[in-house]
Amino acid sequence: MNLALKDARYHVFKFISSTIGVSLLLLVVFTIGGIIRGVILDSSTVVVATNADLWVVQKDWLGPFVEASRLPEDYYHAIQSIHGVAEASPLVMAWDHIDHPPASSGLMMFMYRNAQFGTQTMVEPHWLDMVRELRFLLVGYETDHIGGPPMIVAGRGIEASHYEVVADVKTGLKVGEIIRMRGFDYKVVGLTKNIVGFNADPVIYARLVDAQNILFQPDPDLLRNIRRRTGAQLGGAEAVAPRLTEPAMRKASSLSENLHMINAIAVRVEPGTSLEEVASEIRHWKHLEVYTSARQINIQLMGANRLILMQLSLFRLLLLIIAGVIIGLITYTFTLDKIKDIAVLKLLGTQTSRIYSMIIQQALLMGLLGTVMGAMMEFAAEPYFPRRVTATLGDMGQMLVIITIISILASLVAVRRAMQVDPRLILGT
Amino acid sequence: MMHAIETKKLVMTYGQGRTKVEALKGIDLSVNKGELLAIMGPSGSGKTTLLMILGLVTEPTAGELILDGDNIYKGGKRDFQRLRREKIGFIFQFSNLIPFLTAEENITFPMDLIGTPGGKAHARAAELLDYLEVTDRAGQFPEKLSGGEKQRVAIARALANNPAMILADEPTASLDTDRGLSVMRMLRKVSTERGTAILVVTHDERMIGEVDRVLQLVDGAVTSDEIQAKAPGVAGDHLSA
Repeated sequence: MNLALKDARYHVFKFISSTIGVSLLLLVVFTIGGIIRGVILDSSTVVVATNADLWVVQKDWLGPFVEASRLPEDYYHAIQSIHGVAEASPLVMAWDHIDHPPASSGLMMFMYRNAQFGTQTMVEPHWLDMVRELRFLLVGYETDHIGGPPMIVAGRGIEASHYEVVADVKTGLKVGEIIRMRGFDYKVVGLTKNIVGFNADPVIYARLVDAQNILFQPDPDLLRNIRRRTGAQLGGAEAVAPRLTEPAMRKASSLSENLHMINAIAVRVEPGTSLEEVASEIRHWKHLEVYTSARQINIQLMGANRLILMQLSLFRLLLLIIAGVIIGLITYTFTLDKIKDIAVLKLLGTQTSRIYSMIIQQALLMGLLGTVMGAMMEFAAEPYFPRRVTATLGDMGQMLVIITIISILASLVAVRRAMQVDPRLILGT
Repeated sequence: MMHAIETKKLVMTYGQGRTKVEALKGIDLSVNKGELLAIMGPSGSGKTTLLMILGLVTEPTAGELILDGDNIYKGGKRDFQRLRREKIGFIFQFSNLIPFLTAEENITFPMDLIGTPGGKAHARAAELLDYLEVTDRAGQFPEKLSGGEKQRVAIARALANNPAMILADEPTASLDTDRGLSVMRMLRKVSTERGTAILVVTHDERMIGEVDRVLQLVDGAVTSDEIQAKAPGVAGDHLSA
């Protein structure tokens, strides 16, 4: 006869409501775990989708995702010629925006009001005006090289030589929609899913040349200004070498108009070739920085996302401790309610271990049921979170082990109380 | 004749020096199988202390306790929990049934404690429920039972493991006269028909007519041990306090 189950059956409302309370707490623990995994996946998505072995960037720069590395486009030909390199793909990638406000949602309104309430006395007024821009990570690639969208979930890939883009569904853009970037119209021809930058901004893919135009084309007013200033600086040379001044001015101006820049080169090496050998060859002869894909992901995670991951991990730990305390308190309260029954059980000669196991089993039952319920609720809620939240069955398994330990530890206070119950309590009263 | 329970020079002392209190002053007592004994006395007379010693929850300061022929405090350390679940049945003032077990489960539980197989335990519970006329209440939780029904289930629980002795602590105190008498008659029936020794600690003089013997305790000593007139021929040579 299992006393823990019998007691739970009898106090079914109390037991279930307590278990739901625990499960809601564990739902938050799971969700934070899912957010942490989401941040990690977001940080690696583009790197993984590119399927490159090495990332070549400007010397002493960390990489295209966290720092604005720039190098001439034609460098990729030189990289391509290195022994052991199977493919080198020039890539342009930078954050950009268009005027395309995301659809307003209840959650967004709540977030705004909540933030406004909390910070209105601390920052400039009106800082919290509703978002008007769609921010995204623009990735430019050569369609016959790696670096493009890994999978199209709607529409098609880029086929035309210009003015077509593939966007992630998170942009809210539709196939066939026209977006305007730097004075030119681009047609959305296809959609990807879950292709985002490390900060969860969705990715828009364009041809390399289009991306270069979008990202590096200076504003015409700025160009005129640069030309005027360059002319003024070379003005003194006209008297000395009048025939050289005009070409020098043209050359100087064209430097600032050079669109043939890229941010990184994605490299795939031949099978069986040492990554380190190829990387050191590039570093030595080309004076460029080279990172493996794993290092590139690490740079994003441990650089840009390190603090938020630490914060989330700490919060998760705190919640686990709180869950343990709450399970302990509930179990203790349940035990206090049964002090007289425990005295009767002891008087009837019930084995001490059986009484203690009843208490521990109840804590375990509550913890394990709460874990499963919390996990199920988290799985169901995942699609409704604004950024990627990914918990797995493995997380649930891991949590079941952790909660088993926590529940046993938490129930020890109640067990200690039960140990103090004197069966004589029941006699002579 | 082997007694169900026997005590020899049972002494219980609390405290030391000036705070020393002698709760029991050398009690000699024997109760035969099938005998229903009432222990009476005013508050502080030592009834509860005697009950605790007989129930193996308190060790006496001195003296012997022989339960079903087994001298409990002679020899090595004993497993009192095991002795309680195998040899003693308890009935309490407020029945103290386990609230989260049904009436039937309250009866099968003591059998479960000694490893009685489920089928056998259920059959025994059914038999006891029938014997105590509460079969229709088998699936009810204690909170749904009347006071009298609770005590009948408590008697059935006490009988579950066929103990050598049942200790009943004020079993009628929370019941009105009719229900109290009904419970006492049920105890009478159990002791007579099943041969179980039953010791009832009670203040309730209305119940005296239902017992075989009445033991009066005053200040830790037995002042009288009387066989009741209605009792079916029980020997009266048990007292030598």
